[in-house]
Amino acid sequence: MTALVKLEGLSKSFAGIRVLKDVDFDVQPGEVHALLGENGAGKSTLIKIIAGVHAPDGGVIRIGNEELKAITPHEAAKGGIATVYQELLLFPELTVAENVFLGHAPKTRLRTLDWSQMRRRARQLLDSLDSPDLDVDVKVGTLSVANRQRVEIAKALSQDAKVLIMDEPTAALADADVRRLMTVIKRLRERGVGIIYVSHKLPEIFELADRVTVLRDGALIGTRAIGDVTEQSLVAMMVGREIGQLFPKPEPQVGETLLKVSNLSFGDRVRDISFELKRGEILGVAGLVGSGRTELALTIFGITPATSGTIEIEGRAVTISTPKQARNLGIAYVPEDRGLQGLVKPMTIGQNISMAALHRITNGIFINFKAEAQRAADAISQLGIRARGPEQVVGQLSGGNQQKVVLGKWLETEPRILIMDEPTRGIDVGAKAEIHALMGRLAQKGMAILMISSELPEVLGMSDRVLVLHGGRLVTTIDRAHANPESVGAAMTRATLAQEAA
Amino acid sequence: MRKLLRHETILAVLVVLALIVLASQSDKFFTLDNILNQGRLMTEVGLIAVIMTFVIVTGGIDLSVGSILGLVAILIGVFWKNMGLPLPMAIGLGLVVGTFAGFINGIIITRFRVPPLIATLGTLALYRGIAEGISEARSVRGYPDWFFVLGQGQVLGVPTQLWLFGIVAVIAAIVLGYTTWGRATYAIGSNETAARFSGLRVDWIKIAIYSSSGFAAALAAAIFVSRVSTTRSDMGAGVELDAITAVVLGGTSIFGGRGTIVGTVLGLILIQALKNGLSLAGVKSDGTIVLIGAVLILTILISNLFHRNGNR
Amino acid sequence: MTAEDAPPFRARRSGLARLFSAYGQEIVIACAILVLFAVVSTINPRFLGANNLNTIVSGNAYIAVAAIGMSMIIITGHIDVSVGALIGVLATISGTLAVSGYPIWFAWIAPVFVGMAVNAVVGVLVAYGRIPSIVVTLGMLSILRGGLVSVTGGAWINNLPPEYQLAQQRLFDIPAPVWFMILFTVLAALWMRHSAFGRSLYAIGGNAEAARAAGIPIERRTVQVFMIHGAIAGLATVLFATQLKIIQSTVPPNLELTIITASVIGGVSILGGTGTVIGSTLAAILFSTIGAAMIFINVSPYWLRAVIGLLILITVLVDMARRNREMRMARR
Repeated sequence: MTALVKLEGLSKSFAGIRVLKDVDFDVQPGEVHALLGENGAGKSTLIKIIAGVHAPDGGVIRIGNEELKAITPHEAAKGGIATVYQELLLFPELTVAENVFLGHAPKTRLRTLDWSQMRRRARQLLDSLDSPDLDVDVKVGTLSVANRQRVEIAKALSQDAKVLIMDEPTAALADADVRRLMTVIKRLRERGVGIIYVSHKLPEIFELADRVTVLRDGALIGTRAIGDVTEQSLVAMMVGREIGQLFPKPEPQVGETLLKVSNLSFGDRVRDISFELKRGEILGVAGLVGSGRTELALTIFGITPATSGTIEIEGRAVTISTPKQARNLGIAYVPEDRGLQGLVKPMTIGQNISMAALHRITNGIFINFKAEAQRAADAISQLGIRARGPEQVVGQLSGGNQQKVVLGKWLETEPRILIMDEPTRGIDVGAKAEIHALMGRLAQKGMAILMISSELPEVLGMSDRVLVLHGGRLVTTIDRAHANPESVGAAMTRATLAQEAA
Repeated sequence: MRKLLRHETILAVLVVLALIVLASQSDKFFTLDNILNQGRLMTEVGLIAVIMTFVIVTGGIDLSVGSILGLVAILIGVFWKNMGLPLPMAIGLGLVVGTFAGFINGIIITRFRVPPLIATLGTLALYRGIAEGISEARSVRGYPDWFFVLGQGQVLGVPTQLWLFGIVAVIAAIVLGYTTWGRATYAIGSNETAARFSGLRVDWIKIAIYSSSGFAAALAAAIFVSRVSTTRSDMGAGVELDAITAVVLGGTSIFGGRGTIVGTVLGLILIQALKNGLSLAGVKSDGTIVLIGAVLILTILISNLFHRNGNR
Repeated sequence: MTAEDAPPFRARRSGLARLFSAYGQEIVIACAILVLFAVVSTINPRFLGANNLNTIVSGNAYIAVAAIGMSMIIITGHIDVSVGALIGVLATISGTLAVSGYPIWFAWIAPVFVGMAVNAVVGVLVAYGRIPSIVVTLGMLSILRGGLVSVTGGAWINNLPPEYQLAQQRLFDIPAPVWFMILFTVLAALWMRHSAFGRSLYAIGGNAEAARAAGIPIERRTVQVFMIHGAIAGLATVLFATQLKIIQSTVPPNLELTIITASVIGGVSILGGTGTVIGSTLAAILFSTIGAAMIFINVSPYWLRAVIGLLILITVLVDMARRNREMRMARR
């Protein structure tokens, strides 16, 4: 059987950094080919080349029998390649049927849109995706994430897609929706569609994939049949070393309790959570997306103030209803979405670093620009931010350096409690190690760190204890000695099983 | 800062060029009398434009300022003549009402999350409507002589209102450029979410800015009434567009995050100089409006060409 | 989980429910008009007289027509604050042609093409010059308004030939502007719903990035929609200019804001991507009904604008509340 898409010797650099080195990859009809690798391994670049978004620097792309140096999005679509992106590209105010057929809608003889045919065919497509309950006439903006995703898949199929690229399709889904998506994917495979499935969730990959390809630092590590690998061997391929060595963690000096959270709730997102965070401790928070990890942080930080429960800091009960109050109590929050929540990108490094601690460089009214520049320069050298100087605009920095700026901004407030939400998402391996080392040093100095991460190796490598959340509830707390991929993973999934059984 | 100043530099060169050309057209242009008198005419739009700069830097807009001006003008007349309050108290109350009208804008925008364009479009109709309802097309005249000092008199040889404008502009420039409030204003305009996550009091600052905008419009109303010696409900109609033109001409991005008071003042001067110089050169005042429109579009176009990502 | 996830059976909503979901805002406004008529006519039965109804609708028909083009602009994610000034310019051009001995049909058709040409410039500056539409049209407002008065010197056009008065014609005893308003609204509504062009405007306004990915030529569409808007402004001009025996060189103050308001109250979101032209026409009718109703129930006409302003605010607040609720539902 010939491959639907075949890549040979593909290379790609951005701004002099090689993100893909001589990679081979192919998809056969009727298979699910999983693409695996840590953040920054080159997965997104690879699928964007297949989708025609990026042009490779070297190598060959074969679609069917055609041999190409690079493809445009249009050629990709013509060649039957469709992508379901992480951030869904839909039009919220148009109906489901319109979204499915936008750009290639059926026309009547008068060259006007054929609404009845459009609705009928959208209906058929959704029925074939096991979604008879999805109304083709509602606006997409009113749908849940899972339903929007089905619309995207229907949109791909309406263009007779032979290759479907799915980039972290389950990242934002609740468990029931994940199950349903799996069914849909299996059904597509039976129809002969080739699926490129990008995910870091190993259980899904073992359930779905026929073959798996692992990338690391832009290089191809190997392509294996799913029967030839185990979870451990896949992780070893991804990481390239033993997990323990990756995270240089100094011996913790855990002190007295700093933060005590009791029966904390926010609506139905955070339910009845209680835990203690001690001085010098790194407390990891694990859980699937939608488990309430980030929501817990937002509640403690006052973005979405608690609807019930209590928060105590050093034994004193406090109310936190704004980020400002949280900051004044010595809480810092390095948010999940760096670009949206963490940084003001058009502003300079100096202005970003002083933003949460303006009161420290003013006499009440005027900003002391000299002090601001001095503090920024200090932060740049202490955190090893690679930049021209405090005057450089933050938007020009790399992801890792941007993350250091966010961290620098919050360290300026001299926090006692540091909440880090996905501290190393989307940054390169070097900067990642630097941030991990910094976390270790901060904890040694007595800071209490609450670290939320969807990367299990990070949680296991850095944490002194691990909180596992599910469905907004605290499932269990596991200490470092007992925390391993099996125990934490099991806690995350056992809850799933328990709930399904219920 | 160097990058921010680039548009202002272009504008300053333009202002100087315009002044040279216009001065060569008429002897009267560069006389002190003329310049001071132009300053007098510029003040009402100027006061509003200075605060409008803050509004637009946050990424917002305030279309209701002209209506607030009209409403406060009417109220000053009504408080004084129909209700018999002493004039200073009537003016003081007028300022309070104007500020409150701006405060309502701020509340609608922050609490109900209504886009500023829509919110102030609604209050534009509402405030003007209230002004019309109260005045019933009557005008108030016969103000005491001392009141005209504000709009027609001089202090130390300079028109009274120009002093006021100068003070407001300098304070605004300092606040926007050198204080934490100014920094927060820029941060909100560039990325409101990040500003909120950094512990800045985003809603509070926005409400304060819209309230100030109402206050500036109310102050302009008092000056307007004093300058033309009468009160009518249609006062200030269209002033919002004049003010926005000056602000945008001054290099403030309509998407927020960028802009300076210096730029706005330069924009105001350029507009006023063009109006005056051309009318001295014999061009009818309506012809100058055409030129202002063209200058607005061209300046932004040129500025966009200078830095490609002009939208940011 | 949303409601869509819950029922295990094939959930097909009834036609009525679908209609309400798609045209909620339009139905609300239509009901408001009917209620207003019912209430006012019980207070003062003369309100329902045929002549009165005609006057109410026909005088503001040009606003409804202009709001059709404005709705398209706002749906695409732009704004036009110069349309009032444009109508003033086009009215003077049309009137001048009519009194200068050109054929009447030419005086009627010329505004359409001039409007299209003027807005082609606007569209090019917005799409290719990358200047925000509010800035371009703000500049255009000055150019048109100043240009008009400096050319005419504020003089009125008198002695218009009687056959020029298109707006005073009647068919089946209904004034021509009403017919035109209905005709243009229906045509525009069909076109916005059934043409690929119309749907692409919703796509651009809703998510420009995704629209580009779907192969929609955003720049060209932007220029085109501004030109169409200019042409419709030309049509509105004819209805406006031919209703009186004279043409002034000024238009009602804040005409552009009235037109924008009609679009927004009619359900067009200022954020782009949603709304229909039927809504804006209904909103324009609602405005004139309120105006007339207040006269008939002896409310001071001076308070008319205050009431309309209050109405706008209430509609906007209700709309925002609905939108926020929908967004919260979707995030679950």
